[in-house]
Amino acid sequence: MVDLHGLELDPLVAAELPPWDDILGHLAARPLPAVAVLRAAAGEGRPVVQPRCGVGGQREMLALLGELEPAGPGILSVTIDSHTRLRRFDTATELLRRRPADLNGYPLVSHGWQRGRELTEAVTVPLEVRHGSPDGRDLFAVALAAGITSYEGGGIGYNLPYSKDVPLARSLRAWQQVDALCGVLATAGVVIDRELFGTLTAVLMPPSISLAVTVLEAVAAAREGVRCLSVAYPQGGELHQDVAALRAVRTLAARYLDPAVEVFPVLHEFMGVFPRTPEYANLLILQGGLLARLGGAAKVVSKTGQEAYGIPDAAANAAGIRAAALGASELLDFVRIDESRVAEEQHWIEREVAELVEPVLAHGELLPAIEAAFAAGRLDIPFSASIHARSQVVPRRDRTGAIRYADRGALPFSRPVLARHAALLREVDGDRPRSLIEAATADIHYFLEKESQSLTRAPYRTRSDTPSRF
Amino acid sequence: MNPLPARSGRLVILGVAESDSHAVANHLIAMHLREHGFTVVNLGVCTPLADFADAHQRHPGAEAVLIGSLNGHAHQDLRALPELRAAGRLRCPVIVGGNLSVGSRKSEADRRRLLDLGVDHLLPDADALLPLLDTLHAAKVAELQHG
Repeated sequence: MVDLHGLELDPLVAAELPPWDDILGHLAARPLPAVAVLRAAAGEGRPVVQPRCGVGGQREMLALLGELEPAGPGILSVTIDSHTRLRRFDTATELLRRRPADLNGYPLVSHGWQRGRELTEAVTVPLEVRHGSPDGRDLFAVALAAGITSYEGGGIGYNLPYSKDVPLARSLRAWQQVDALCGVLATAGVVIDRELFGTLTAVLMPPSISLAVTVLEAVAAAREGVRCLSVAYPQGGELHQDVAALRAVRTLAARYLDPAVEVFPVLHEFMGVFPRTPEYANLLILQGGLLARLGGAAKVVSKTGQEAYGIPDAAANAAGIRAAALGASELLDFVRIDESRVAEEQHWIEREVAELVEPVLAHGELLPAIEAAFAAGRLDIPFSASIHARSQVVPRRDRTGAIRYADRGALPFSRPVLARHAALLREVDGDRPRSLIEAATADIHYFLEKESQSLTRAPYRTRSDTPSRF
Repeated sequence: MNPLPARSGRLVILGVAESDSHAVANHLIAMHLREHGFTVVNLGVCTPLADFADAHQRHPGAEAVLIGSLNGHAHQDLRALPELRAAGRLRCPVIVGGNLSVGSRKSEADRRRLLDLGVDHLLPDADALLPLLDTLHAAKVAELQHG
């Protein structure tokens, strides 16, 4: 291991890096860091749009960024391939040499920081590295050397949804080092935007679980000296609940974080089973932009009309950016929502988050306390791929489509919170008892159902088109 | 959730094939089976076939091993089944469910390839799981009674 201001690196990766002063100087000279874009968006009250995008080859990646920039994104992504995410750099390098098209993202470590700089210099907007690495330290070092000023991930959100058996202690420590280096950079006047992946497993995520996880990651990051945090929340599908959750990002930050830390709410447009017709998909993308604005998000991560079918082509991706931006545009500024309903949701979300995080924050040692809480199920994530989360929590949609707790597992909620969820869910199954699997599947396919109700000739049919459910 | 007592005492081993990290359906099926009284040993996503065999050794009373595969790589992930069976392991019904091959059209050849490996039952849909387990269970009980 080689040590870069406390960031422990693979010696092979470290050997390729330029001197620290060069990295620092280059970052300081970036004309438009991500934090500046976020500040401007927050100031205007209108979110910028960011697509996901990443392909294997250098020429192809440059071309993709070039095709997306005219659609007007505020920030562009460098989405990293699976092999690099799992630190299988040799495999990624081998594939890059032989079959770059087989990579499902951009292998930044294999390309190296010089080619990374080619990307940052090819566009006028800042780049963010999006990945899913339980240990993203080497990737972070290369991203910094490339002049990339925004880096996604965290010890919980980039472990439990993505890996089967990475102990939380390991991922939390790796991300602690990433955050600490951001602290070193902040002291030197370079602010790196650290985005926290509150989307988690992306399926029926109760807002208070998403926000509890990002609050804990945010507190851990702030303690290491991080000065700019983007807190991402995934669109669940019920407008009032989603607006409330986005607004709660700011109140929770005020409650649990040092005021010196800048916090930007981010909306991930719907991450679940996506509508299949271009018309309805675009409607959902447009609505995401609107809800991001109403919730006070500084950024919205856009989806595309091809979402239901796999990784989108550049044209669909550009169209998705535009649709999300239109949703957030002034043409829809007349839209009013039921503010009292939003306020009520926000009150309960904040209370639930407090009940989840405060027992954990009460411990002296934050990271071990997080680990212990997950082991005991006092923190939990539904549908996790990891054996280090119990996944005892069962979410369900209520009559309005809002996501509630049908089974809270071992989450330490108070009686009033539980009573409210039970009451809201009692209204749902009035017509006929359904098995849990049937009910949860219907909740997961919520927008397919909506789509087929809205469009008389939607291709979705409840039985034959349903993906198998194993 | 109160499990229905009808199937208490019955145990199944559940998991997702080695190259597959689809967790949602795995959790739903585990809940569904527990809701119906089963004890479920859930090995979760990305489980190598040898781990299923180890679990069966630890729980010899398991009435079936259920392997989900949604990414179309079922044949590749289960290719060691004949070898394990030849070594006297996984001697219980192996049920595979999900998307059994790459592409949207499932051919008889894909099913045949999995059956040739020694997979006992193929299920395209989780709804068929309980009836199948009950049928296998009833047959087993009858076999024990009539020796």
